[in-house]
Amino acid sequence: MNPKAITGLGIASALGTGRSTLEDGLKNPDGIAPPGPIQSFDASRYGTPPIVEVPGFDPTKYLGDKGLRTLDRLTKLLVVAARLSLHDAGLKRDNQWAALGPDRVGVCCSNAYGSLEAITELDRVAVLEDARYINPAKFPNTVSNSASGYVSIWEDLRALNVSVSDGNCGALDAVACADVFLETGRAEAILTGGGEAMSEALYLAFDKLGALAASDPSSPRARLGEGAAFLVLEPLERARARGAKVLATIDGYGTAFIGPKDDATLLYASSEALERAITQALEDARIGASDVDLVVSGISGIARYDDEERAAITKVLGASRPIAAPKLLFGETLGAGAALAMAASLAWLDGVAPSCIVAGERPAKVDTVLVTSVGYYGNASALVMRGLR
Amino acid sequence: MRVFITGVGVVSSIGLGKDAFFQALAAGKSGIGPVEAFDVSNLGRTNAGEVKDFRPRDHLTAAEARRMGRCSQMALAAARMAVADAGLAPSVLESPRTSVVLGTTMGEADVLADLDHAWIAKGAAGVRRAWIPKYGSTLLPIHVARALGAQGAVLTLPAACAAGNYAIGFATDLIRAGKADVIITGAAEMLQELQFCGFVRLAAMAPTRCQPFDLNRQGLILGEGAGILVLESEAHAVRRNARVLAEVGGHGMTCDAYHITRPHPDAAGSKAAMRQAIERSGITPDDIDFVNAHGTGTKHNDSAESKVMRDVFGERRVPISSMKSMLGHCMGAASALEAIGCVMTLETGIYPPTINYETPDPECDVDVVANTARKGKADIVLNNSLAFGGYNSVTCLARPGKLPPPSEVAKANAA
Repeated sequence: MNPKAITGLGIASALGTGRSTLEDGLKNPDGIAPPGPIQSFDASRYGTPPIVEVPGFDPTKYLGDKGLRTLDRLTKLLVVAARLSLHDAGLKRDNQWAALGPDRVGVCCSNAYGSLEAITELDRVAVLEDARYINPAKFPNTVSNSASGYVSIWEDLRALNVSVSDGNCGALDAVACADVFLETGRAEAILTGGGEAMSEALYLAFDKLGALAASDPSSPRARLGEGAAFLVLEPLERARARGAKVLATIDGYGTAFIGPKDDATLLYASSEALERAITQALEDARIGASDVDLVVSGISGIARYDDEERAAITKVLGASRPIAAPKLLFGETLGAGAALAMAASLAWLDGVAPSCIVAGERPAKVDTVLVTSVGYYGNASALVMRGLR
Repeated sequence: MRVFITGVGVVSSIGLGKDAFFQALAAGKSGIGPVEAFDVSNLGRTNAGEVKDFRPRDHLTAAEARRMGRCSQMALAAARMAVADAGLAPSVLESPRTSVVLGTTMGEADVLADLDHAWIAKGAAGVRRAWIPKYGSTLLPIHVARALGAQGAVLTLPAACAAGNYAIGFATDLIRAGKADVIITGAAEMLQELQFCGFVRLAAMAPTRCQPFDLNRQGLILGEGAGILVLESEAHAVRRNARVLAEVGGHGMTCDAYHITRPHPDAAGSKAAMRQAIERSGITPDDIDFVNAHGTGTKHNDSAESKVMRDVFGERRVPISSMKSMLGHCMGAASALEAIGCVMTLETGIYPPTINYETPDPECDVDVVANTARKGKADIVLNNSLAFGGYNSVTCLARPGKLPPPSEVAKANAA
């Protein structure tokens, strides 16, 4: 692909809200405060669930206190990340446009499960009381693209708004969408990333599937997370022409799907799909395997997926390549996962010493990162990010 | 690189399969009737365009039907019809150069409702573990890719009621960018209780029927179904000597950034999306023969869309019609099913009617194809979709050879 400049980042993650909290946390991962009490639902019946939320998330600090009442947590996380990214990229200053403008800026937003919070709340009213009592102001939140739509409404982004759903590969695929839309001149800048919000239903689903159980005492235990991140992507030359600071570039992308042969299987991890995705991403970036300094993986502590991901990375890049697993900090954040991985990669490309290393030696210098993600059904995606050379 | 539609498949309330669908559209047959899937007796509204004669096992293996919700079942059934219509052999489809890009609003809504209702009634212990992985809108293209052997990008674009056009438009861009040879695209949606209640509570649902552009229109009627199209690069279609049904021209995409459920009153976003679709096809508004309206039957939508028609086409009264009068609003699947209806129009020169049209509305001063189908020139048509969230998407479809080559259009646009 023609390299795309990353000119801004907005993030809300387990490390806090804002780019500086991300960098501080990554510089000193041992100093990250342990998760506090669960905010997003009453977790008293679950003991100490393996959950990481955005600590002390307070949208009013960024959005004011008007108009938030009917918004769900997913929407608030995404709108805050969007606002921060626009300011970081210099497209807005004090909430006013400073460069480009509403008709030239769009959104490509990944999310896996929509607002389970809204759907389960309305279902409860419909089942336990009466369907005629569901709150019409909250009904729009049940629609999958609602949160992404609110990002455009709150930030006045009119070029386009595309929601992407591909599980934990979604944020990498959102980059592929943004690349096509930038190349075809549909926008000059696209907020690209994703979000996922914690909810009781989401926790229950992962817990019931046994995905959060400790599989092996020597491996880290998976934690379910939440968060949102947007990277502002622009064609490199145009970004330079408008005098934007370029944080890094995205140079290549690949994706593949290989489903299970067994009829009874639904959940399936394919190392072959990831091998193909990695190979394509390297070719797309016109680099070789030896150019990759660090693999920023989707390894999360869910063994069956982690094993396939490691196998694919090892097969294409060799056994000694350093592999980082930022989900050990952020938790498994699904639709937001790869967006948070790209955010961490930005810091590591900027000279912050890589952490969460689960294989190989910590590299002294990181110029080129390969971000990988293995989906839950046989899909996989990969993407190449490069620092400023 | 031209992008061709070489096959289509349909699951709809007015017929299964392309032939039944085309015949019903041309005849102005309504698929609207009392809902049978769930109890609507105390909701004050009873009707929808429900697909009543879809038997999953006619199209899917027992194992496939078991691992899917209704939405994916309809998507896969329509995908199999589309692939058969395109004459694509499994050996051609099984490739990293085949992708699946689908749209939806809610995806596997029945699976989630089942999980949620069990949780409410019996607590966490009552939730069926095996059903959990069956939920997620991402599963639609996964199931289709798995059944057909596609190994490229597998993606869902949840874009509410414009999802079909978003998927078709993005798939077209991907093929033009050289990233795939064949893409199975379109959208699917199932009728579900919570959605039905939600539209009733938004006061958006008509009492019994959908009357787009009529003075006395009272709102939308929901529907369901799946519309799947096989898109192919020109090179791939020529190489295998494929029959070409239509060409996908330019598409427009904008966002109102105004309100989550209401269209912008000045309709600037939908106007820009229509103009983009025309300009990106390398043509002018004078080249458009027919417009398939979004035409939901709500006050706001139809008057705003009529205004856009006048702004884009000026004095020229381009025929416009809404299939939603027959199908209901199939939400995510709407613009995919309607794109297939447009393919019929291009093939036959028949504009499908807007049924239930009785009294013209001065606010909707457009040339509605009222009540019975009309024959006319059909070389190039537009398919409008204007969705929830302010998502606007318009696609231009044409008879093969009627649009300038995309390379020339790109050159002209760059200049």
